[in-house]
Amino acid sequence: MTKAYQLTNIKLSYQQRLALDIPSLTIPAGKCVALLGENGAGKSTLLKVLAFLSRPDEGKITLFEQNIKSPLNSAQRQKIGFVDQHPYLLPGTVESNIQLALTLQGLAAKEHEQLIRQALELTKTTHLAQKLSNNLSGGELKRVAIARAIVYQPDILILDEPFSHLDQHHIQLLEELILNIAKQQNKTVIFSSHDRLQGMAISDEIINLVAGLTTASPLLNVFHGTLSKHLFDTGKIKVHSTSSQTKSHHIAIDPREIILSAQPLQSSMRNSFTGRLILIAEEEEYVRLTVDCGENFHVIISPESLNNLNLSLGKTVCLSFKSTAVTVF
Amino acid sequence: MNYFIDSLSAAIELIFSFDPDIYQIVFTSVLISITAAIIAASLAIPAGVTMALNQFHGKAFIQHILNTLMAMPTVVIGLLLYGLFSRLGPLGHWGLLYTPTAIIIAEAILIFPIMMNLSITAVNSADPRLVPTLISLGAKPTSLIINVIRTTRLAMLAALVTGFGRAIGEVGAAMMLGGNIEGFTRTMTTAIALETSKGDFELGLALGLLLLIIAFALNFILSWLYSSHD
Repeated sequence: MTKAYQLTNIKLSYQQRLALDIPSLTIPAGKCVALLGENGAGKSTLLKVLAFLSRPDEGKITLFEQNIKSPLNSAQRQKIGFVDQHPYLLPGTVESNIQLALTLQGLAAKEHEQLIRQALELTKTTHLAQKLSNNLSGGELKRVAIARAIVYQPDILILDEPFSHLDQHHIQLLEELILNIAKQQNKTVIFSSHDRLQGMAISDEIINLVAGLTTASPLLNVFHGTLSKHLFDTGKIKVHSTSSQTKSHHIAIDPREIILSAQPLQSSMRNSFTGRLILIAEEEEYVRLTVDCGENFHVIISPESLNNLNLSLGKTVCLSFKSTAVTVF
Repeated sequence: MNYFIDSLSAAIELIFSFDPDIYQIVFTSVLISITAAIIAASLAIPAGVTMALNQFHGKAFIQHILNTLMAMPTVVIGLLLYGLFSRLGPLGHWGLLYTPTAIIIAEAILIFPIMMNLSITAVNSADPRLVPTLISLGAKPTSLIINVIRTTRLAMLAALVTGFGRAIGEVGAAMMLGGNIEGFTRTMTTAIALETSKGDFELGLALGLLLLIIAFALNFILSWLYSSHD
């Protein structure tokens, strides 16, 4: 497996706050990777580090197995396309913006026309070529910014919150575009999102980020608190875990590992809570429940289980999960 | 009051009589100021952009020096350059004293800190996404500076016009280094000072009016450029 990135012991502080703390992270080449996390989790910071627009205070980054110490050279810069959450287009037409990328990358002028045409076609923005950049809608702006980032055919495309502030039509267009670039063009696409389901839907791999830390656990049931003697105290509830990492301040519990029952279960599971059902949401193939046990737990069950348990809003239910289901980070 | 009104009407007559002596002075003034503004801009704008784009030790100190130089009296620049260009000075053999070149150098030095400061302000006021966008698209240090200048060109043009306005209105250094030689180094400001002291108030007033017209025209052009850009 070729590694697009390998990050080791990355630390980055922002205004005296540790914004990123990543002991190790590998991003394989040719995959579509979603970076998930809440607002302020450090997604944009990590993407800027991957785009070499921010330099970490500590740590090592390799780009396609090459250790990067100093600012990127031309060949390395040409491997990365970056689209900001709020892309900035320079004054002028869409075409002049895209051409600027080719000029800055030092590509021969005779190639410009064909490359621009390809990028516009791929992003379905051919009709916008002569439009002034300040006359574009939000969705058009994002697609044009992607056209500008892919026009020099980078191996990696980094997109910061590409779906934010877009209507459903433009979200669908962008999803198709991202999938096209990742699957058909075989590029490494890394995008951030705070919508977990959307991230899971179109990505091959997921990186979860909480308070600048990466975690293997899905970003549901993430609680903040302190860990002492295998007991994690959120301030409202105490959760048993197998970890003894006293420096850790977060836990996450995979919603698929939580057993829902009408009565408390007699079992080996160390964690058992009773709470009130406050949300029932129907997803494509499963049902997502939220139970208030002092902290809100998200639980995923099948539609059949929903019927069997005869659940309704406000009903008291019991949650149980093993201490091994608790990821500490 | 009659004296002022009579002088004003005589000055307007002088302007519309298209007296070649008056327009020779205007031409000399404009030529010297434009040359000084272009030379200063070609150095100050890249320097200002480079300074704004980079973080380094001593940046705040340089900013303080620039602010101090902006307030430097023009006669002090004239005095220092007089010392350098006078026959006994270290650059006396260049024979620059009492030439338009000496005035151009003085005015370029005078307006350099103004233009550099305005360039720094222009970059700092630009969209904060501009520089990261250009870097992500592959801009190297030189192309980054060029594209930042291109994107902030209106603010840079304002810096150029402000510098030109300061240069054309300058009198102290132009008098000391130019010597107010008729047809050679006589500028509008030095002529106003000289002619008024000689009692030719009408000529001074005519040149003063022309200076105001030039300043007005420059500001008008700048406003028009801003409005057409919006």
